Amino acid sequence: MRTLKSKVFSPAIRIVILMIVTTGIAYPLLVTTIGQTIMPYQSNGSQVVLNGKVVGSELIAQNFNSPKFFQPRNSTDSGSGVDPDITPASAISQIPTISNATGIPANALKTLVDLDIARNRETNALVLAPDYVNVLNINVELAKQYPEVYAQEVSVQGGT
Amino acid sequence: MYESCILNKGRKVTHVDIVILLTVLVGSLGLAVIFGRYIARMIVYEKRPLEKTLGRVENGFYKIIGVDRYEQMTWKQYFLALMITNIIAAGFLMTVLLYQNSLPLSPKPGLSLDLAFNTAASFVTNTNLQHYAGDQQLSIFSQMAGLIFMMFVATASGIAAAFAFIRGFIRKEFGLGNFYVDFTRIIITLLLPISFFSALLLLFLGSPQTLDSTITVGTLQGGSQTITIGPVAALESIKELGSNGGGFFGANSAHPFENPTGISNVFEIILMLVIPLSFPIAYAHLLGRGRGISILVTMLIGFGVMLALGLSEPSGPAGLETRFGSFGSTLFLESSVATNTGAANAALTGMSPNAVIGFFLGMFVQAIPGADGTGMMMMIVFVVLTLFLVGLMVGKTPEFMSMKINPKDVKLAAFVFLIHPALILIPSVLAYTTENAQAILGEQTTPATFTQVLYEYSSASANNGSDYLGTAANTSFWNWSTAWVMILGRYAPIGLMLAIAGSFTLRDRKEVVEPIKTSGFLFVGVLSVMVFVLTALTFFPFLAMGPFSM
Repeated sequence: MRTLKSKVFSPAIRIVILMIVTTGIAYPLLVTTIGQTIMPYQSNGSQVVLNGKVVGSELIAQNFNSPKFFQPRNSTDSGSGVDPDITPASAISQIPTISNATGIPANALKTLVDLDIARNRETNALVLAPDYVNVLNINVELAKQYPEVYAQEVSVQGGT
Repeated sequence: MYESCILNKGRKVTHVDIVILLTVLVGSLGLAVIFGRYIARMIVYEKRPLEKTLGRVENGFYKIIGVDRYEQMTWKQYFLALMITNIIAAGFLMTVLLYQNSLPLSPKPGLSLDLAFNTAASFVTNTNLQHYAGDQQLSIFSQMAGLIFMMFVATASGIAAAFAFIRGFIRKEFGLGNFYVDFTRIIITLLLPISFFSALLLLFLGSPQTLDSTITVGTLQGGSQTITIGPVAALESIKELGSNGGGFFGANSAHPFENPTGISNVFEIILMLVIPLSFPIAYAHLLGRGRGISILVTMLIGFGVMLALGLSEPSGPAGLETRFGSFGSTLFLESSVATNTGAANAALTGMSPNAVIGFFLGMFVQAIPGADGTGMMMMIVFVVLTLFLVGLMVGKTPEFMSMKINPKDVKLAAFVFLIHPALILIPSVLAYTTENAQAILGEQTTPATFTQVLYEYSSASANNGSDYLGTAANTSFWNWSTAWVMILGRYAPIGLMLAIAGSFTLRDRKEVVEPIKTSGFLFVGVLSVMVFVLTALTFFPFLAMGPFSM
């Protein structure tokens, strides 16, 4: 019994405590410290800023209740429920509605869609993901380029 | 509302798909060559890169733990040390989950006893079946000191068992090693460094890493949105590397914080595959090049069949993430199930019936390539069974590594093989006869709901962790029954396999020509067919009632 205690239980308890400290506390804290120091944008959830104010995370879908914006997928349609992206085809199919609601010409909206797709391709080393459109980013771009059109919907206007 | 069906329409393989597949194969096999060599050196205590520094750090750990690094264990001592360490670690995790309300870092209500037991069993057995939603029910402390810690423990235990098992075949009385020494070395010099750099890469790609549990941000239209966040990157890397699969979020790797881009998706797939594929390479270094490569090829053939099934019809778009699409979701999920990781970057309900049949194949075989360490052990069990059956056919005494295979070895190997169907089929039947399946899936039993029950126990027994039911299975019956299936599915095969290694290590070797060659095309062919036939015979009736009829 004595040998069982000193040969098995004692090292087992010690190794567990040691690993709790090493892998459960020191490791995540070290990654946190490094992340917060050199990659604060990603570490804190990739928050998008417009005119000095945070307007969401580019990785998490948010609701848009105005027809002037591109719409995300219904939350139950995706795997995560917060899919921030839509397919190019879905974005293009939304252009007529947005154009009607805003008066922005359809070809200008198509250009914005293409630009967002190109930007996402760069994010994915050009070849490691299918093409997609990030809904928050493209809507922020709309608000930036057409501040007067979105004056009512977007509360974070520059200079106010 | 603007849901597109474009992902699905006119589906053909694009150049993006091919580049993704090649990147995954080249990346995981390339890294497996490097880590296979490294793991081989760890198994036989050869000099590794930075040996002096690593040795010094390890010696510090041995001193604190109080073990003699040269002391060898018998298979029984090794198994006992593994069990005791796992039980103590599981006890710690269970305590944390029960009392997280009085622990630091964004406390949440403690879990119920059955859910805490299920979760502790799930993580210590490297299963990571989740009947809770981590983002809603766990505190940051539970995720960190509870789950991240346990992910290292479970992975290191599986790899250590494989080290001892492989040592049993190397040469007479080489010794099976010392569990505490292996466990320390595996964590400190293999898992922790890779996890650390992988976490930084995932962070760079967009996974958050903070001790805050939520952030509240304004939205573009002036509202506000509360987003769950936490030390995601640090958990995600060991989750994939260690065949764990338990997500920080209920949505697992479908959640953009766990898997932000196409690059992170490819990287996570490579992380899941690298250690399981490193083992046959290590085996090639230690027990013969041809033998190791033959096992690697057999594993890849099985994995190839799973992939072909998965890619044979398109999945989604419902239940899938746009940034992965059908191909990226299928490749991730087949890799995840094949390695018994169980991580998911899409809802299983979004996957095509053929893809699901692929998942079952992976969970039934558990060795194509299987989990870190245990996948390799399982494949060697298949090799022993194949040698025995082929020996019967051609009338030769079967030998493995120049040692005669005894009836007792075959019995133990057959036990290892039979535990799995027993642990799947008996509880599945019980779930129906006690009406507990109907209670959560509805009175009407359809092939789809039967598939979900069969999947739940297959996943639990294979220590896989992917599932359909999720939080719906957070009932007393499902928590206790899957917990015991996970525990038996983990420790019974490991114990039996260590017993096999323990008896082989004492045996005389005669360096003669193998009566049945364990390398080359013919052996790969026979082994692949045997694995398939044994599995198909065991499970076919149940597959016919479930996924084949979906």
